[in-house]
Amino acid sequence: MTTAAVRVRGLTREFTRRRAQPRLALDAVDLTVEEGEVHGLLGPNGAGKTTLCKILSTVLLPTSGTALVNGFDVVRETKQVRQGIGIVFGGERGLYTRLTARQNLMYWSALYQQPTRVAKARVAELLERMGLLERADDAVETFSRGMKQRLHLARGLIGDPRTLLLDEPTVGMDPVAARDFRSLVAELRGEGRSILITTHDMAEAESVCDKVSLIDGGKVIGTESPRTIGGWMSKYERVRAQGVPEEVRAKLRALPGVSEVRVEDDEEVLVSVDAEGAAARVLRTLVDAGVSAVSTSRPSLEEVYLHVIGDRGLAVR
Amino acid sequence: MRNTARVLRYAFASAMADLRATYTWKSWGLAWLLRMLFQVTLFAFIGKLIGDPRVVEYLVIGNSVFITADVVMLVCASTSWERMSGTLPLLVASPAAPFTVFTGRSAQWLLDGLACSTISLLVLPPFLGVQLPLGTRLAVVPLIAVIAVSVYFFGLVLGGLALRAMAARNLIGRVGSIGLMLLTGVQVPVSFWPTPLESLAQLLPLTHGLGAVRAALGNGSASDVLRGIALEVVVGVGWALVAAFTYWRLTASGRRDGTIEFGG
Repeated sequence: MTTAAVRVRGLTREFTRRRAQPRLALDAVDLTVEEGEVHGLLGPNGAGKTTLCKILSTVLLPTSGTALVNGFDVVRETKQVRQGIGIVFGGERGLYTRLTARQNLMYWSALYQQPTRVAKARVAELLERMGLLERADDAVETFSRGMKQRLHLARGLIGDPRTLLLDEPTVGMDPVAARDFRSLVAELRGEGRSILITTHDMAEAESVCDKVSLIDGGKVIGTESPRTIGGWMSKYERVRAQGVPEEVRAKLRALPGVSEVRVEDDEEVLVSVDAEGAAARVLRTLVDAGVSAVSTSRPSLEEVYLHVIGDRGLAVR
Repeated sequence: MRNTARVLRYAFASAMADLRATYTWKSWGLAWLLRMLFQVTLFAFIGKLIGDPRVVEYLVIGNSVFITADVVMLVCASTSWERMSGTLPLLVASPAAPFTVFTGRSAQWLLDGLACSTISLLVLPPFLGVQLPLGTRLAVVPLIAVIAVSVYFFGLVLGGLALRAMAARNLIGRVGSIGLMLLTGVQVPVSFWPTPLESLAQLLPLTHGLGAVRAALGNGSASDVLRGIALEVVVGVGWALVAAFTYWRLTASGRRDGTIEFGG
């Protein structure tokens, strides 16, 4: 029997503050990340993603419940947990910006108890892999955001961890840097590492994850493959058509299961449905009316997200 | 043990890299060191105004040694940089012990402070009319090194407190530094203070070590010097233990109350 990379059961974390109501950041969360899996944790700001990452990385204690990382308990077996994980979070922080990239990595390799000879080789290998070898001896403060994030990932990998915790790793990155970063994540999956990645970026979750858990208000709403989540929401499929006469639009509006018929700027009609089979009825109506410029689209993960939790007025980027 | 030594070595290496990034030789020599020498000179001139050569000598020795403590107390500020740079959660989540890491991470100030004090003791006394044999002045440098380490652990304790109260981090460091200057026999003898403060001074770093330096540079016996420096070591070990407890508490309470933020 293999050990799951992350196994969380009934995990709850409540924050208490003086003269303030207690805040429930995690509410009986269950989550499993299998070995070698890239698991996305998708939710808006304040959903509890970072709180979960903090508990898994042993910098925060849960109020109740259990969390095992690589089979070790995050409360009682912190030493073993710490030896088996790498942590990467997004943004500018978490690096010694006045030190060079090589100095940063050599320092962290010592903290991860690597012998000097091994550390030197590993640092050189990681710098090369992250495309930072040419700038290895430059101060980190001169790096672009994308370079800093690649250095973050190199730091997270310095201890050769079985499990990586990536907390919003591409936040603030430009699209090209984010795409490169996702390629690196895909490479790491190829090496058999387990990865828990938190994000509120649908495209990111869709492109790099094997499974995605939706989280909101400290609760995991569901865990499935991105494709399956799309399947849940197939009843929200969309139909686009061009050159749709007004009387046909009226017919479409009258169809059962059609929630909205919207005319967009370029005279394209967007039909939203909210019932199984409604999309097929829309298509038939359009074809019968002689409209040929028709396309359908599966709901993106973003739409899944909006439908499952977004109807509570959450902002999605 | 080997791991601890390696962590200390690399933490110290990164501390030295920090120092090199902070100063060039020119900016260190023409700005930082000069500022320290002027500080000693200022207090020596107060002695000259009083008109007693023994007071001048007392102030030159006291302030030359104190600048080691003044520089080393920067450990309080530089420790708090870990939270500002967002590296604190990564340290806590690493397999290394935070106390070991923090002990190495600010050790650049030990060398900086020792260099400032040594230069002050070698250069200033002749200019300020204080007659001290050069050999004796050189001989007290190891004693000042012991003082620097003792003060360093005291500063680490305050740095640990500053990590819990970031808004007050500069205040904590300055109060600690000024407290040492006032109470430990730098400007006035420890016996000048009321008994409770005099007793407090016995627990502070610098007090006994400075006594040993004064004994070595004056007419004190070898046993006075040895007793003073031994007491300084004992006080330093005491503060090291308090520092270790402080960092254990910092991580334990941070894990409990959620004050170790990712990225912050």
